[in-house]
Amino acid sequence: MVDLFALALSHALLALAAWRLVLRGDLDRDIDQGPPHG
Amino acid sequence: MVDLALFMFVVALLALSLRRPFLAVMAYLYVDILAPQKISWHLLASIPISLITFVAAFGLWAVADDKTDSRFSLRQGLLLVLLVYCGLTTLGADFPEAAADKWAWVWKALLFAIFLPLTLRTRLRIEATALFMVLSAGAIAITGGIKTALTGGGYGALTMFVAENSGLYEGSIISCVAIAIIPLILWLARYGTIYPPGPLVRVFAVALIFACLLIPVGTQARTGLLCIGMLGILMLRSVRHRFVYLGGAVALAMAAIPFLPASFTARMNTIENHQADQSASTRIAVWKWTLGYVQDHPFGGGFDAYRSNRLVIETRQVEGSGSHTDIETKTVTDQARAYHSSYFEMLGEQGWPGLALWLWLQLSGLWQMEKLRRRWGRRAAVEGAGPELQWQAPLANALQQAQLVYLIGGAFVGIAFQPFILMLIGMQCGLWTYLKRVDEPARTKRPAITGLQASSGA
Repeated sequence: MVDLFALALSHALLALAAWRLVLRGDLDRDIDQGPPHG
Repeated sequence: MVDLALFMFVVALLALSLRRPFLAVMAYLYVDILAPQKISWHLLASIPISLITFVAAFGLWAVADDKTDSRFSLRQGLLLVLLVYCGLTTLGADFPEAAADKWAWVWKALLFAIFLPLTLRTRLRIEATALFMVLSAGAIAITGGIKTALTGGGYGALTMFVAENSGLYEGSIISCVAIAIIPLILWLARYGTIYPPGPLVRVFAVALIFACLLIPVGTQARTGLLCIGMLGILMLRSVRHRFVYLGGAVALAMAAIPFLPASFTARMNTIENHQADQSASTRIAVWKWTLGYVQDHPFGGGFDAYRSNRLVIETRQVEGSGSHTDIETKTVTDQARAYHSSYFEMLGEQGWPGLALWLWLQLSGLWQMEKLRRRWGRRAAVEGAGPELQWQAPLANALQQAQLVYLIGGAFVGIAFQPFILMLIGMQCGLWTYLKRVDEPARTKRPAITGLQASSGA
């Protein structure tokens, strides 16, 4: 039961973090860094 | 059900990485730290998930990620030299099969530590790495912490997800790592943008830190207590009100003592009286043996060279006091005892050159983080400095504290190549190269930047 709780909580936070990262424009390039390279 | 959920989680992470390649790096971090294939009994356990995420992280970076801003630093070079050197000592190892087993995971951990900084090109990526490391290790700390609070734990008795004694599931290692991540938790709670600061984040951070502090209690690993002590001292340097902190820490420790399990207090007392404790006496005997071994083998004996040791240990138990003192002496013979110290692990396995390389890697990290801490701390203190200048010095400080906690814990546990710690080093390299890169224009155009800061603060 404790293991399940720990797994559920940590994975929910990891999943939400991953989703938020996908939506963030500054993941691949800092916003104030100008146009993308290459 | 858990099996399917873990499998779907990894699949989803890899699917998202097709859109954002960096997420494959996060998937590898997660798999390497938590080892979900050990928790799973069927789906993940039946596929080489670590290899899949390793290949995905490298492959997607090579094919789809921008590499213009990637930099290769001196410390990555040191890691590379260490990798090659360890490969050579493995070829001539005293125990070829055992050495090959250890080499099988060490090369991967070293290569990933070299690779990770190349991907850390933005502030958000650095933060994401810290978050994934903290949450993945945090999962183990949460279950261990709750179980300790409910049952008190016990030496070798606290099971976290799996009944294993390797990697982060080993009591002493998780004790050291759990304490080492506390500075990162604090940094994320204060400067995070994925989970921005707020009441919920604060509550979670406090609860997670509490769980981390309970891990050394639950595992009854003496190393953990030393790590807590080290972190407590290090915190003195960064807290705003030192006397309040000191008073609070002492009061908290005094209040906690009555609630600690008796078995924990008894075990911690053996730190003082190491002569009566066979485990501690064995360590000292192994360290003496290692010093003798490298006199004949200055280049080390390769991985697991400790297997050739044979030790005769004398333990002394003093009972009573004053004129009624009884001294009981016992002689114990032991063999193939592990190093129980990262420093002696490096010395015995990789010899003097390996130890020198490893120490250079560690000390240069402390120095680089100190340099960043001071440089960016000064900038953050300038009147009118915006929020974009506030996160760098505290992160360098957190990474330095984490490393120092590891270096004290590592003195009593053989974790010289622990992948989690190598990831921390990779993160340090990433932060160093990232800040050096963003600093380049600032250094050449300092007057303009200073003017910009002043105007933004006005």
